Amino acid sequence: MTLPAPAIAIRRLSKSYGRTEVLHGIDLEIARGATTCLIGPSGSGKSTLLRCIAFLEEATSGTILIDGQPLGFEEQAAGRRVRLPPQRIRKVRSGIGMVFQQFNLWPHMTALGNVTEALVTVKGLSRQEADARGMAQLRRVGLEARARHYPSELSGGQQQRVAIARALALEPEILLFDEPTASLDPELTGEVLNVMRDLGGEGMTMVVVTHEIGFAATVGQRIVFLDHGRVLLNGTPAELFAAPRHPRLTQFLETYLDRGAAMLLKPA
Amino acid sequence: MSFDGSVILAALPAILSGLKVTLGIWVAATALGIALGFVVAAFRHFGPRPLGLALRLAVEVLRGTPFLIQIFLLYFGGPFIGLSLDPVPAGLLGLSLYAAAYFSEIFRAGFLAVPRGHVEAAQCVGLSQAQIVRRILIPEMTMLVLPQCVNMAVILVKETAVLSIIAVPEATAVISALGSQQYAFVESLFLLAVIYWGLVEACGRAGRALETRLSKFRFA
Amino acid sequence: MTVRLFELMLKAAGYTVVISVASIAIGLLIGILVCAAKLSPRPWLRWPASLFVSFFRGVPLLVQLLLIYNLLPAIGIAVPSVVAALIGLSLCTAAYQAENLRGGFLSVPRGLLEAADMAGLSPWQHFRRIRAPIALRLTVPALVNEAILILKASSLISVVGVIELTRTAQNLAASTYEPLLFYSVAGGLYLAINWVVAAGGSLAERALRRGRLA
Repeated sequence: MTLPAPAIAIRRLSKSYGRTEVLHGIDLEIARGATTCLIGPSGSGKSTLLRCIAFLEEATSGTILIDGQPLGFEEQAAGRRVRLPPQRIRKVRSGIGMVFQQFNLWPHMTALGNVTEALVTVKGLSRQEADARGMAQLRRVGLEARARHYPSELSGGQQQRVAIARALALEPEILLFDEPTASLDPELTGEVLNVMRDLGGEGMTMVVVTHEIGFAATVGQRIVFLDHGRVLLNGTPAELFAAPRHPRLTQFLETYLDRGAAMLLKPA
Repeated sequence: MSFDGSVILAALPAILSGLKVTLGIWVAATALGIALGFVVAAFRHFGPRPLGLALRLAVEVLRGTPFLIQIFLLYFGGPFIGLSLDPVPAGLLGLSLYAAAYFSEIFRAGFLAVPRGHVEAAQCVGLSQAQIVRRILIPEMTMLVLPQCVNMAVILVKETAVLSIIAVPEATAVISALGSQQYAFVESLFLLAVIYWGLVEACGRAGRALETRLSKFRFA
Repeated sequence: MTVRLFELMLKAAGYTVVISVASIAIGLLIGILVCAAKLSPRPWLRWPASLFVSFFRGVPLLVQLLLIYNLLPAIGIAVPSVVAALIGLSLCTAAYQAENLRGGFLSVPRGLLEAADMAGLSPWQHFRRIRAPIALRLTVPALVNEAILILKASSLISVVGVIELTRTAQNLAASTYEPLLFYSVAGGLYLAINWVVAAGGSLAERALRRGRLA
């Protein structure tokens, strides 16, 4: 049996800001139809890696293939790295949806307006068609009743669910989450994590940067542990969290006891 | 001193004509200032650097010098460079340029105040650069700066009074002339002050009401 | 323009600075009183203070100046025009400064005041050690801004016959038939003074930065 081609293939990806290199030659494959959680201490480069996959940051060297298609840059025969034309970049990017830590809903549009904006302006759908699709996505995240509300009238958890609906509306192959619950009050994280759990169950390819270790351990099918800009560990939760555990991971987990790491550290 | 109201009553038609000029110049200069200020802010935010620097210098000069000096330069200095304007067009042009400098700063700050993440979210759903400017940046910026624009409009009502110095027949000029002809200067000036006061208070109130209504479209 | 005329302009600019500084200082004193009255729980203090602020912020400075300049002789007080000008500028800036100060006091976070209460500070200590220092730090940028506004607004006192920078430029422009030159030089001088004030302001802000709100 051959393994299916990875949804995302990252090769020797490096990223520097000025002189500081934050990602050092990352090699990583993200499996299709699975939930992959990127964990690691702050400053480990996990958010930068995710933003490179979203093409919000441009890597300094290396390549990212989305479904076998190069994202942003293509490496040519002589090792030359060429920037692709904008239409091609946009085409590859259209298969990727992104959910931000700060939700980033557009404050001057209703929940439904946020979800349908790209359907109308990018996909060229009619208002009615876009609204119908938008409502379907809001229903999926349980916020049909809030469609006409503005972001300022929604709770943080509701805003993040609208942001997820906005990403889903374009029917992406891959959904990226950048610490989706980090700006939420603890009692609101559950509703967002539940939506994400459902999406994972439906077979959506998801890459989640998170500090919710409990979520990563129970919903994540793959865990990637980054440390100092390198992939230190990459495996199933069972492989990573079972003893004998890597000492850096143990050290990291001990600082996240309140985010569900306590149960992982209990002696089996 | 005795307060003589009858003088003012007799002068009502003249006062009304002065008020009409004040309101006309105010509305026109505010509209022109907003339009020009927006163009300047857009060029400074999105345009090439040298142009941005030149515009910045112009804005700094207009904001750093008294409006009265600008008006003198335009009205008395203009004819020496082939720009002979009557008081009303000179006043309107001067006030519009002055307004544009301040409005452009308001808009520029507004563009900078739109969170980067809102633009990134738009990039992620595939909006083009032009669509992001039109659909996200400009509407969001407008919501952010509307209250300050009302503030600036209030400042401009008061600046129109300066135009009386170059003999624009607006309210201050008409009423002071009236007062000196009829020896009821203090009464006339009181009336004038009350008129401006009412105008400014009304604008301020409208601005605060607008701000409350806009809060819904702003940040959560 | 001869050196002698330029010296005349410089001297006039100095006069403009002196009048502006004096107005800002007097205006700050009046502004503190007005601000205190506006923050007072007693309506008979609050109400007149609000009226004062509303009036002096609602009426063009030029009209205020004309009013004071003509009102004083009418009620039998003869003062030189520079005094009338100083009164006008000071009252106007007092209204703005009172509002700036009030804004500063109102933006001191409640939690800090509650912490001071819990630490057992007396009401006066509470004001002197906690409220006032934080509020003043918050008001510095607005004060610098106000200084620049008053410097520019002081050009209007030329209308009531004070021979400051604008009036000097006007006189020289009229007698030499060179308005472009003299108004440009006057504008340049205002600009230069404003840059100095702004630079001083950012130095002050930097010095206060370590003590600002976290």
